[in-house]
Amino acid sequence: MASYIARRLLAVLGVLWAMTLLIFGIVHLLPGNVAYMILGEYATAEAVATLEARLGLNDPLWLQYWRWFSGLLGGDFGRSLVMDRPAGPLIADALAHSAILAGISIVLVAIIGIALGIHSAVHKGTLSDRVLTLAQYFFIAVPEFFWCILLILLFAAWLGWLPATGYTPIGEGGVLRWATHLILPVFTLVSGLIAHVSRLTRSSMIETLESGYVLAARARGVPEGRVLRRHALPNALLPTVTVLAVDVGILIGGIVVVETVFAYPGLGRLLIFAIENHDLPLLMAGMMVVTTVYAVANLVADILYAFLNPRIRYGRAAA
Amino acid sequence: MVRLTRRDLGAAALAAPFVLSGNARAQAGGGTFRIALGASLRTLDPAKTTIGEEYIYDNLVFNGLTRMREDLVVEPELAEKWTFSDDLKTWTFTLRRGVKFHNGREMTAQDVIATYTRILDPATAAAPRTNYTMIEKMEAPDPYTVIFRLSYAYGGFADILSDRQVKIIPHDLVDQLATAPIGTGPFMMRSYTPGDRMILTRFPDYFEAGQPRFDTVELRIVPEMSVRIAALQAGDMEVVWDIPPEQVKPLGGNSGLRVESVPTGSWDAAIMNNAIAPFNDIRVRRAFHMAVDKRDVVELVLFGEGAPTHSPIPPNHPFFVSDIPANRADPAGARRLLAEAGHRNGVKVPLVIPVGRPVRERLGVTLQQLARPAGFDIEIQRVPFARYNAEVSGKAPFYIDGYFARPTLDTGTHPFLHSEGSWNQRLWHYKNAEVDRALAAARLTGDPEKQKVEYLALQRAMVADPPGFIAYSVNFACAYRANVRGVKTHPMRWFDLRAGSIGT
Repeated sequence: MASYIARRLLAVLGVLWAMTLLIFGIVHLLPGNVAYMILGEYATAEAVATLEARLGLNDPLWLQYWRWFSGLLGGDFGRSLVMDRPAGPLIADALAHSAILAGISIVLVAIIGIALGIHSAVHKGTLSDRVLTLAQYFFIAVPEFFWCILLILLFAAWLGWLPATGYTPIGEGGVLRWATHLILPVFTLVSGLIAHVSRLTRSSMIETLESGYVLAARARGVPEGRVLRRHALPNALLPTVTVLAVDVGILIGGIVVVETVFAYPGLGRLLIFAIENHDLPLLMAGMMVVTTVYAVANLVADILYAFLNPRIRYGRAAA
Repeated sequence: MVRLTRRDLGAAALAAPFVLSGNARAQAGGGTFRIALGASLRTLDPAKTTIGEEYIYDNLVFNGLTRMREDLVVEPELAEKWTFSDDLKTWTFTLRRGVKFHNGREMTAQDVIATYTRILDPATAAAPRTNYTMIEKMEAPDPYTVIFRLSYAYGGFADILSDRQVKIIPHDLVDQLATAPIGTGPFMMRSYTPGDRMILTRFPDYFEAGQPRFDTVELRIVPEMSVRIAALQAGDMEVVWDIPPEQVKPLGGNSGLRVESVPTGSWDAAIMNNAIAPFNDIRVRRAFHMAVDKRDVVELVLFGEGAPTHSPIPPNHPFFVSDIPANRADPAGARRLLAEAGHRNGVKVPLVIPVGRPVRERLGVTLQQLARPAGFDIEIQRVPFARYNAEVSGKAPFYIDGYFARPTLDTGTHPFLHSEGSWNQRLWHYKNAEVDRALAAARLTGDPEKQKVEYLALQRAMVADPPGFIAYSVNFACAYRANVRGVKTHPMRWFDLRAGSIGT
């Protein structure tokens, strides 16, 4: 197990290094110029040239890459050119806000998604299964930006129950106000993903419940609850764990949309700000953080997978 | 960010009644004023601010030597009064005494000189630097007097000191401007979370007695316009800044809201490159003006929230030339003029429009349709606005662009229209002897009546020889909750909140 984890960890580091090259390359292909963004539309050519030189934008690309990469190794995320302050704290703030959204969302997706999936599988073909199936297809089909606007119009503008936008720290307005700001964005984020995960859990659970060893267990007189928990569930969850890791990626994409519409101050908003203002150091730092989150999520999934599935845990020896 | 501890705030609150004595009653119950904005502020350094959202902040936290009122009249702010020499090259400003920065220190001439020295230093990369390069030398004979010596005569010098970015900063705290800015303005910056909000609190030692009245001002950043409006209707905001023209009438019909739409000096135009065909021929430029009725353009592009104009001078300005009748569309006349210029079968020309600027995109498509009967075959090319500086400005033969109001007529016209103007070469490469003469003459007098004569002459010359199709002056509109009092919608797109309050 230890060597398996070590190998996965090494692979993650390799991916991250490759991503530094890719991210650096991509952002330097973006059209635009930060000096114009900083100086505004009335900037003179001389002023732009002076600023470009001061920001080191005229240095060869390999030197700029090296400066950035060696900074990253030392934990320095660079400096936001437009805001003229270190990118690290900006990103840490935004990441903390996004992590609240994403953390609550992924937990809800896992719990509700798996529970609904099992319920449907066990009650296959009943009315509740059919209603759930219909609802799942509906939530998978409707894109999240539609929910954003609809929910705001309904709950904020019309009913006035929930705030339309923003974020309030717990220390400022208490837990209740903090939570009311999260309800609409979290609902938007999880609705499609819960449907997705529960569909998958349902089919994988049905498959497992029809397998030979479940039949054997039932034949031996094992109680049905124990059959579900001990025999069926660990096997049925394998594909779900993989999909949850992939969903972290979808979640990050969804967060960009949700944060923008709900005016929630997270990492997605910061990335858009960086792109709009051509603030490359901030953009690269943000993209590296997103990449790392995704890589770590996959690492966790791999380890969890190994934990659930002995064939992977013991490598080739068991095969 | 300014890190005020609870104790500091407590001390300020305790001190306030003594400092403000007589005005304490007027300040009671100021409440919170929440402004919904579309984009994050990018910098907190006033000298580097370049967008409307940032100018709002500039005017809340800082003061300038002079101030522009919402009726565009310039009045004293940190300077109590000023005098100028006969040759308009030496300007002496007397500073108000007892003005305090947010940290309690008194503002003096040293801060004023440091502010302008910093703006003029190319290494600062201050956005407005080129507007102030006439300043040759500054002196402070005593702590309350600043003398500016200019390299050329400039009649509007006191006016340009009211501009958005030239706010007086403390000379000893320049390093913390980007993170913990301190000014002399009515509100103190307490915290800023990019993408979320800036929180500002009342400065109890503000130099104008009895002001401001709001306890807290919040700049809330909400990217989606529909969400900003929903938040306003829900009572989560007091005002939505800069609503698009198509929203003015629908929102105005809402009983809980009040919409104010004011004329400004901001203008949009179809820029014609006077250096290359086909618009290097004055007859083609004139034919285009004959082809299109600007009143139709205002209706179609701005939903009526603007007014046709001939130059960057807006129709509500006292110096606007009002005796030139608006011309009706005359496609036949335009065709004749085009034929005279050698374009018997009309003119085929590409028009670049900026993607991401919806009003200006609409202007491009509107002109394409309105000019067609006169023989203009316009092919629309969509280019992202971010690429304009590098690829379009001053290069394309024909493109749509727009310019925000500048603080004075001189700064709004001279750079754009004078043949030596800094902006002319990045727009239309325009050259007209009468225009050059009028612009130079207007700048050499401090007398408004003489200036008016010159600016009228400028507009007549531009109608006879148009540099491009300056379509209209754009209105600026904000939507307020109906209970907001004393806040005026400023044509320069910032807020003066000193007298603002929440009514019942």
